[in-house]
Amino acid sequence: MKKNKKSFYFKDYNEKDFVNKNINLSIVKVSSNRITFLSFIFFSIIFIFSIKIIYLSLSPETFLINSELKGDFSKHRRNIVDRNGSVLATNVILYDVGVRPQLLNNKDKKNLLIKLGLLFPQLDREKIKKRLKKDAFFPIGKKLTPKEKDQFWLMGNKAFVFDPKPARIYPQKNLFSHVLGQTDDINEGISGVEKFFDKDLRDVKKKNKPLRLTLDSNIQHLIRKELINAEENFHNIGSAAILMDIDNGKILSLVSLPDYDLNKRISINSNIYTNKITHGVYELGSVFKTFVVAAGLEHKVIKPDTVFKNLENSITCDKYTISEHDKLPPDLTVEQILVRSSNIGSIRIGQKVGIENYKSFLNSLKILQRIKFDLHEVGDPMPFNWGKCKLATTSFGHGITTTPLQVARAYAILANGGFEVHPSILNNNLKLNKKKIISSETSETINRMLRKVVSLEEGTANFADISGYEVGGKTGSSVKYKNKKKLNTFVSLFPSSKPRYVLLVMLDEPKSAPNYVCDMKPTEKYPNGYKYKGETRNTSGWNTVVVAGKIIEKIGPILAINNLQASKNF
Amino acid sequence: MSDKKKLSMQIGMMSVNSLNTMQPNYKTIENNNNWTNTIMNDPPKHNRKKYLLMIILFLCGLILVSTVKNKTRNIQKEINKLQTNLNSIQFNLDQAILDNEVITSPENISFLAKEYLNTELKFYQRSQIKKLNNEDKNLTKVSGLNPISTNNKNVKKTPKIMASTITKQIEVKKNEIKKLKKLYSQPKTIPAEVKKKITKKIDHAKNELKTLYKSPKEKKTLDKVARWSAVQVVKLFLGIPVVPGR
Repeated sequence: MKKNKKSFYFKDYNEKDFVNKNINLSIVKVSSNRITFLSFIFFSIIFIFSIKIIYLSLSPETFLINSELKGDFSKHRRNIVDRNGSVLATNVILYDVGVRPQLLNNKDKKNLLIKLGLLFPQLDREKIKKRLKKDAFFPIGKKLTPKEKDQFWLMGNKAFVFDPKPARIYPQKNLFSHVLGQTDDINEGISGVEKFFDKDLRDVKKKNKPLRLTLDSNIQHLIRKELINAEENFHNIGSAAILMDIDNGKILSLVSLPDYDLNKRISINSNIYTNKITHGVYELGSVFKTFVVAAGLEHKVIKPDTVFKNLENSITCDKYTISEHDKLPPDLTVEQILVRSSNIGSIRIGQKVGIENYKSFLNSLKILQRIKFDLHEVGDPMPFNWGKCKLATTSFGHGITTTPLQVARAYAILANGGFEVHPSILNNNLKLNKKKIISSETSETINRMLRKVVSLEEGTANFADISGYEVGGKTGSSVKYKNKKKLNTFVSLFPSSKPRYVLLVMLDEPKSAPNYVCDMKPTEKYPNGYKYKGETRNTSGWNTVVVAGKIIEKIGPILAINNLQASKNF
Repeated sequence: MSDKKKLSMQIGMMSVNSLNTMQPNYKTIENNNNWTNTIMNDPPKHNRKKYLLMIILFLCGLILVSTVKNKTRNIQKEINKLQTNLNSIQFNLDQAILDNEVITSPENISFLAKEYLNTELKFYQRSQIKKLNNEDKNLTKVSGLNPISTNNKNVKKTPKIMASTITKQIEVKKNEIKKLKKLYSQPKTIPAEVKKKITKKIDHAKNELKTLYKSPKEKKTLDKVARWSAVQVVKLFLGIPVVPGR
């Protein structure tokens, strides 16, 4: 029956063909959808790969940075360079070496001990022997140089495990030890620039751009060398110097001796290694006389030719006696007081200026407060109570403490026309709004007076009168409270007609040097030069001034100051 | 058994969806008045083209994807290789920079300067420097006669050995002139007879230099001829045949 029905359909209506065709069409329709779907997938894949190719070809920098992050770990910290681009701090790969004793038998262990003893006699053999017995991994050497690592590797012992680690290296060794500071084992800054700019130095975005400082390696070296020579001549226990651009406060050199090799990790506990320029707080003596004179001029209570008559050779305040260092004439002008560094004269000026005026003037120069600087190691001046006697002593720089950095900054303000400067070691081109602190007239007068301190025969700083550089400055000698030893300072400005740099030189506990012969170069006054045999005095006018003169003579050509003598003769 | 079920048995493996699509057709079969219009024609030709295009696209896609993937992989490999090289070069560069920094550090340079340079410099007056400049000028004038110039065509033409002997001779003459000049630079100390001799020597040397400079080959051949004739004269006196073998 079924068959008949079927035959009926197929025979009469050709239903089979009809149905099959319909079925085929449906299958084709389904296949077509599948093909479309597959094509979509294919094109999507092609599209994705095309995008990747385009991305790779168009953004090579991004790609490089990403791949560097994967493999190259030597640049976890940015390099530090000086103003000329010389590298001051960079990264290298050093190796930590450990031993896996479980891989060695007793014979191997004995051999290893013998080899280690021969190649590395500094290693503690007994300690290693004990640890080898325990059969647990232990470190044997840290931060090995590639050469040392090779020595271990060439021993061919399977028990050695090398672990490469990025480490900081300082090619200039001692030169910038107080400025750069150090990093710890995990490469984080622990002192100096390394600590202050730690976040910036580890900034991945800037990793290929070095941190540029304002310091100059060549100048730093020359100054350091002269300070070391000074130690040989004057047997001082320490010394320091700072060279600063007076217009923008950029520090070109910051030396503090004794220093240390940054590549050798040693524990330094002695105070003698303090950064004397930024961290050391000292009573700097007569360099403060310039401030009292400037305060007087600024408040218009004195003029350069104002005469102070009948100046005593010594006065008593409270229980303290204040006297002159030399016998001076009883009548002195303001200029002569500064040139001849009269203590009593300075007290008289201070008394005329008054406590409030002098205090506000010193505050405007930020002498009495901690200043902002690009290092954490900044000293706090010691606070004190003002009074009549305090005014008298602070007028000539006693009983008042500050850091040499602050004194250099104050002198820069006095010399640059009275504009505020922010001392900095970071070489950025930020333009700061210059705030006027003192008048241009006061600044010009001070510059003229300071020049006379050096150029006049009765001035206290003749030895720094380097021909052609118009050096001006002020000497300062003080006595330390704890051991009654000297601390001599000389702050110089050059060239005086239009000052550009301030140089502060400080010698800590210098001794008199009667046998030292100072070989002076030819000057206008002495065209053939002269030799000056040392003297028994131990004042700033003798030792720090000589050192500062030598420094200026050497760094002058590098600073490209128009040497007036040279331009006159040639 | 319903008609719908019968039909499903006929088509055997057809899916339910396909069956659903069949339903309207079945209905049309039921409707006897319309059945003639329900018979489907052959699929149109453009549909075949469509399927062909699909297949081509599919194959193209297949090939393209694999090609692109391979290319991308190769590029990636190449980039990785270059990156490794770059890292290695960068490492070497860093090492070289570090070496350079250590070698050229002011401390090292001053140490080397102390070891190898004469740092005890002397002061000179401006007048002294002027004098030195004048002497330089004179020296440059004399050295202007230097025949070793490569532009001299005569020298170029002469054989290499000859040229070297000529240059040697010129050097000797130059030294002679220098010595004579040195002697002559202190005229007060030299007696008159010696002076004359020296001037003659200078002139002679200068002339020789000039001839050498102008025609070095000729000079050399002249010398050779002179030497040969002298030898011939000696041979004649001694009774040796002048041209042996002829």
